[in-house]
Amino acid sequence: MSGANFSTVTLLIGAADRGDRSAADALFSTLYSELHRLAKRELASQSLPVTLSATTLLHLAYLGMAEREGPSFPDRARFMGYAARVMRGLIIDHARNRRAQKRGGQFEITSLRTDVLEGCVDYQELKSIGETLEELARVDPALAEIVDLKFFCGFSFAEIAAMRAVSERTVQRNWEKARIYLHRKLHTELSL
Amino acid sequence: MSTLSPDQWQAVSPYLDQALAMTDDERGAWLSSLGEQDPALATQLAALLSEHRLLAQEGFLENRRFALPNATELAGQTFGPYTLIAQIGQGGMGSVWLARRSDGRFERQAAVKFVNSGLAGRATEERFKREGSILGRLTHPHIADLLDAGISSDGQPYLILEYVDGAAIDRYCDEHKLDVESRVRLFLDVLAAVAHAHANLIVHRDIKPSNVLVTTSGEVKLLDFGIAKLLEGEGQTGASTLLTHEGGSVLTPQYAAPEQLTGQPVTTATDVYALAVLLYLLLTGQHPAGPGPHSPARLVKAITETEPLRPSDTMLSANAESVAEKRATTPDKLRRMLRGDLDTILVKALKKNPQERYASVTAFADDLRRYLKHETISVRPDTFAYRTTKFLRRNRTPVALSTIAVVLVIGSLSTGLLVANRERKIAERRFAQVRQMANKFIALDQDIRGLPGSTKVRMQLVSDSLQYLTSLSTDVHGDKDLALEIAYAYVRVAHAQGDPTSPNLGQFGEAEANLTRASGFVDPILAQDPTNPRALFIATTIAHDRLTLADNRGDKAGEMKHAADAASLIERFMSTHPVEQHDLYSMRYFYVNIAGAFYEGRKFDQVILYNQRGLDIPVPGSRANALRGAILENLAAAQWQTGDLDGAVKTSHESLGFQQAEAASGHPALLLNLADGYDLEGKILGRQDAEPSLGRRRNALADFQKAFDIAEDLASKDSADYLGRHYIAGSGLEMGNILRHNDPEKALAVYEHSLVRIREAKPNASSQRDEAALLVGSSYVLRWLDRENDAKRSLTRAFELLHAAELYPADKVEPMSDIYDALRAQADDYAESGESAKAIDAYHQLLDKMMAWPSDVQNDLRDTTCVSRTWTALASLQRRAGRSDEANRLEAQRTELWNHWQSKLPNAQFLLRQSLVQIASRPVFNSAAGH
Repeated sequence: MSGANFSTVTLLIGAADRGDRSAADALFSTLYSELHRLAKRELASQSLPVTLSATTLLHLAYLGMAEREGPSFPDRARFMGYAARVMRGLIIDHARNRRAQKRGGQFEITSLRTDVLEGCVDYQELKSIGETLEELARVDPALAEIVDLKFFCGFSFAEIAAMRAVSERTVQRNWEKARIYLHRKLHTELSL
Repeated sequence: MSTLSPDQWQAVSPYLDQALAMTDDERGAWLSSLGEQDPALATQLAALLSEHRLLAQEGFLENRRFALPNATELAGQTFGPYTLIAQIGQGGMGSVWLARRSDGRFERQAAVKFVNSGLAGRATEERFKREGSILGRLTHPHIADLLDAGISSDGQPYLILEYVDGAAIDRYCDEHKLDVESRVRLFLDVLAAVAHAHANLIVHRDIKPSNVLVTTSGEVKLLDFGIAKLLEGEGQTGASTLLTHEGGSVLTPQYAAPEQLTGQPVTTATDVYALAVLLYLLLTGQHPAGPGPHSPARLVKAITETEPLRPSDTMLSANAESVAEKRATTPDKLRRMLRGDLDTILVKALKKNPQERYASVTAFADDLRRYLKHETISVRPDTFAYRTTKFLRRNRTPVALSTIAVVLVIGSLSTGLLVANRERKIAERRFAQVRQMANKFIALDQDIRGLPGSTKVRMQLVSDSLQYLTSLSTDVHGDKDLALEIAYAYVRVAHAQGDPTSPNLGQFGEAEANLTRASGFVDPILAQDPTNPRALFIATTIAHDRLTLADNRGDKAGEMKHAADAASLIERFMSTHPVEQHDLYSMRYFYVNIAGAFYEGRKFDQVILYNQRGLDIPVPGSRANALRGAILENLAAAQWQTGDLDGAVKTSHESLGFQQAEAASGHPALLLNLADGYDLEGKILGRQDAEPSLGRRRNALADFQKAFDIAEDLASKDSADYLGRHYIAGSGLEMGNILRHNDPEKALAVYEHSLVRIREAKPNASSQRDEAALLVGSSYVLRWLDRENDAKRSLTRAFELLHAAELYPADKVEPMSDIYDALRAQADDYAESGESAKAIDAYHQLLDKMMAWPSDVQNDLRDTTCVSRTWTALASLQRRAGRSDEANRLEAQRTELWNHWQSKLPNAQFLLRQSLVQIASRPVFNSAAGH
């Protein structure tokens, strides 16, 4: 039981759109619980888990919420903007937990043989990216969102373009800009 | 390297945009010229750009290797008799792997599709296997075989398909620069495959280019047949269809049909739509919603609301050159090739309303084949896609007759008109007007998506249409086709205004006026050319619609007159020429309401005659049983009114069977028909204090409750809907009338809820009667609950409403009518208040007025029952007032009357006993004991 009150998610998204920070926080924690719960459920039900991708998880979450809340629930594009951000959090958290715990830890996002995952992007790097992204979000939120969607959630350029109703080329260009910003920031900090 | 402040970033960002869009060469030149204007900026940019080169080399953020399961480790694993080789795809549903059969007996390549268990929902193993075996039986040269389906021991659902090595059909056509004819031929193969599946009762549901592959040898192969259905868990309809769209992303429902997006049932017509989108794409290079990109919300809106541009008209856009080139021709030639038949075929196949599309994939294919052979196609460009609606049948007394409505769509005024007029100038002007209108439609908000809830939008459409029509009317000048088109458009507008089957606000006066305008256009044509089929059709429709409007007003004479007119027009129409299936259905539908009109006039022989004629209309194919439920209901009502209660119950039950099946689609009009059916059965079983019934009150209550629930559900979805509320009032009244004898408080609650609902609707004559009836019914209960003042107030208000509906005061009173009930309730009120002289006087007056109606106690059972009941009440009043002679006289009269009926009806005694149940006396109930 996530304890989230889903009839308010629609309202929370509306408020967050209008810049209400506390609504945004409440929204993020609600989405976090929901995604976390869904991920656990999906993985628990498969021992040959071949396709739990972040995008699938997000789609499942959207469907579940849209169904529960009814026709006033915002469209996918708006939802994904927020959900992608939450996904980032989930992934970074998991990376941290994996580092901190052996297999069998309390938050397992995967039930695969974890030896396969050596050589994965490590927690530190993810953490830094996350922090820099937060900064970018304050400066140029559209760019940060593309990073969430593409890097953390795995949507393709085409999908993102469709979501944002822009051309694929625009998405690509924004992606490059975002990379420049992040790369710049990360290396500046590291070089201090 | 210095850090970038937010301000600096904002400043440099637009320049970065430009720089990133350039090639390396361009960039160098650009940077240096920028350097001359603003050196600091240029330096910054240069630094950022070199950073970009660096990070690109590093592959910064390119490798997503998070701790989420990925599939690389599956390669080489065996899965049943197959060995997995490599992943070849990833879709929204799951991942696809190339596999080879490893049992050595034969080498066969397969594609193994692993399905996300989340998407498979609660699909059980059996279900998966069962559906899989059904799909597996689909063998066709153009369908990729489904070899196996099941759930592994780990609980992983999987599908094993024939591996097809090919390109998506749109890419194939473009790469090979196939011309229009070759594309159509290739497409015909696709249609053949889908038709084969439909013949096996399998709907694809997910037709899109990536599911239609063409191999290097030019062979078409359809994939993923019915997979979406396979994945549906119980109670999860619709979710999976949205998951399998373009590129595996669930975000773009490009190939979804309107009904899929509004949650209506998916049928073979859904496949027709998707196929049409595919053909549109193959011929024009774009989606019917226009050149992209489209945000999902916009796409959904376009699919459900906007009529697509005709294929030939897409050649006017900017990229026509490249589109034509891929079709081995020029934009002009392509435009000419698409204009005419291909335009017409695609427009029909892309209709929003599934019933207006090609009825089958085969029909679609036939027209395409005719196009290839240069024969005339089956769709007349100016065919009026027939839409019928049901007008209100007043159902207070006697019972309403049900009819079935096909969805009313007013939006496609544009298509027919464009082609109808051959004069280019007018056509162009109209095109501009239509454009304007179409744009207006697009601007409307979400309400229109699906019924109910579309009232506001419909009203907007109506006012737009009227404006448009008035401006057009000046263009007629003897153009017959145009005149008929306009006439029909006025008819459709009248439908929206006066048709309470769809949510509307009951503007009956305006509807009548528009019907008159319509006949203004039709009548001259019919006078000149009495066998013109289209004119006859429209004239019939007008007569029918006037019939139902008259019914609304309670104008029985008018109703029957229009019914007779309609009946003779139908005869004329049916003798003109071979009639299309749609039109046959319409004729049957008209007969149902014609019979209903005679029902209102209590001419039961004619009721039976016209119902039989309706059944005799040879509606072919799948709709042969259409309206059977309605007709049987009519017959049941006729049986009821003539005293054959057992027969009536049987027939009514049979009719309910049909109506339940039809209402399964969830369409409001069909649901209301079903409510009607329950209402009738309820009345036959146990209607209280009115015509004779079987006295089975509990069964009756159950039926009324069902009708009530249906209507309540519809009313709650549309705050402006009248008809649902009308039905709530009707069934609420019946329930209250039954309940009040045992549980007055509950009865009062039902009355009051119904009153709340009927008051929500915009007042009209019909709603006023409904409200009055409820107030009258509740007045008894209020009195029995010792709320005498409230009872009197209710009665006063009821009379006010009846007065507003022009039913009171009256010299003649129809037996069992609302005004009868009100006057009787008034008399009973006097009686219970102890004013017996006044009561007796009121009863005498009531009886006089009933006789003046005139009541036909010799031949009409309803009249007999009503009079008998009134005499009974008066007799007991007289007895209480000490006038037993009077009382005896009345009772003797009553006996004689029923003796007369003894010879006519075997169950006359039973009916007499039923009629003795009175409402005036305070029932014996003990509220402490409950019901």
